Amino acid sequence: MAAADGGAIHPVSARQWPAAGPSRIPNWVYTDPDIFAREQERIFQGPNWLYVCLDAEIPNPGDFTRSKLGAREVVAVRGMDGQVRVLINRCAHRSMQFCSANRGTATEFTCPYHQWTYDLDGNLLGLPFRRGLRGLGGMPEDFRTEDHALERLAVVSRHGVVFASFAQPNQTLEEYLGPTMLGWFDRVFSGRALKVLGYQRQRLPSNWKLMFENIKDPYHASLLHVFLVTFGLFRMDQQSAVEMDDTGRHAVLVGRRGEQKANEATAQMRAFHENLRLADPRLIDPVREFPGEATVVMQTLWPNLIVQQQSNGLAMRQIVPLDAENFDLVWTHFGYADDPPEMTERRLRQANLFGPAGFVSADDGEAMILSQLGIAGNEAAEGLVEMGGREVADVPHTVTETAIRGFYRHYRAVMGL
Amino acid sequence: MIAAAPGLRASAALRARLADLYGAYDEALGEGQYERWPDFFTEACIYKITSRENYEAGLPIGLIYAESRAMLADRVAALRKTVLYAPRLMRNLTAGIVLRSIDADGMRLSASFAVFQTMLNDPSTVFLVGRYYDRVVDDNGALRFAERICVTDSTLVPTSLIFPL
Repeated sequence: MAAADGGAIHPVSARQWPAAGPSRIPNWVYTDPDIFAREQERIFQGPNWLYVCLDAEIPNPGDFTRSKLGAREVVAVRGMDGQVRVLINRCAHRSMQFCSANRGTATEFTCPYHQWTYDLDGNLLGLPFRRGLRGLGGMPEDFRTEDHALERLAVVSRHGVVFASFAQPNQTLEEYLGPTMLGWFDRVFSGRALKVLGYQRQRLPSNWKLMFENIKDPYHASLLHVFLVTFGLFRMDQQSAVEMDDTGRHAVLVGRRGEQKANEATAQMRAFHENLRLADPRLIDPVREFPGEATVVMQTLWPNLIVQQQSNGLAMRQIVPLDAENFDLVWTHFGYADDPPEMTERRLRQANLFGPAGFVSADDGEAMILSQLGIAGNEAAEGLVEMGGREVADVPHTVTETAIRGFYRHYRAVMGL
Repeated sequence: MIAAAPGLRASAALRARLADLYGAYDEALGEGQYERWPDFFTEACIYKITSRENYEAGLPIGLIYAESRAMLADRVAALRKTVLYAPRLMRNLTAGIVLRSIDADGMRLSASFAVFQTMLNDPSTVFLVGRYYDRVVDDNGALRFAERICVTDSTLVPTSLIFPL
């Protein structure tokens, strides 16, 4: 669909962002394969900290899990020293993907093709017939195993969350997130040990940025999400805020649970049903577990993570772009290791709101698909992002699209658009 | 057709009642009659959809996780009144039903399912396939699911899961 408007006609260098700036989004950012290629290079392989996994997924030495950072697949493994390594899932010999299990425990990695074997640091330990057979064949004299390690990423972790980077950022994770985001991050990840409750994946035929826009857009939440609106889980008339880091690349939506009662705001929400009742109210039976008044905190962390805290529903949503018009969303639902059984039950029940079948997030998935369908063939058109003004600034309300503008202000700078 | 595990005695009458239950379930879902769906379950039922990956690792999360018939009714009310989705038809096919055991807690059965999805103006596609792990009880004269765990072979849901399996 993008071909007619693709690279041959419009090389990235000739692309012109609309003069109005970040309050307009040209549709070609969602379809152009050349833009996608530049995103891979500058964003996903750029000097950013990308979410990889939770420490709790690989608690013991030798435990590993696969993850995907942009287009490149990695294996995160806990070394014998307890530190996590993130290795590209590509044998140094012929590029074969050497690890095909989603997770497990290993003492070394052996590529099944020619049995090149690596230690958990990614160092090449050895390979069959290195010295040939009966004086014939073998690797050249100057072959050194030290020259053929697996590609290894820079890794940082904070309070049980592992991040990695293809290009060593010149910022620590704490600097990268900035003080505002770090405060919200530490609210959920305080250092308390985590417990994984399970995984979900969905493939959405839409551009990966639409996922970020969705969670940076509190305007839609009060209109699209009948379920959230009706049961007061997220609504414009509640005390709420949108905050960003200095660059605008990260953002957080903060809200406080309200009542199922009609008022001036709900009158503008066709989604509001005053009389809708749950037959089993245990579905929404939240208990306060974090300091402060906020009951919903949705963080979007550049470039591949959404941290969800809605009531007692906690999840990492990892964005894995596949191409310009498709991405996978990987959900890791979690709680805390010391949760009593009734709290785990509560989290599992509330998880009905989220994931590929969520009362709320299935809406979002459908909305992104329909957005991509509307964008296809209309690459010359642009999106309008003016709710709450045209500037990028933190606001103590949610009648705004400011965080989308913040995202694109940063995006343009990184992409050179 | 309901098969029985080796050595398990099951009368033709019982197998026919089970076949009726499974057949009616497929029919209700395939015809989009979701209002009929909660009534296939007991009041204190467990209904869960999860992937083989979670199931084998003992991870408890569900795509749908319900602990009562009322929660199933809430799911139907939500998909009728609150959830946005593009129009689609779903068709459930259940096969290879095996009665595995019978005890005081009811009958344990397993079966394979395939669910096909047809979006408006698109070809039909395989949506999810997997296995049901069921516990069926006689609930005041009607056979109902006291437990239905739907374990999908794929870890990946194509787009979104709007309707139950």
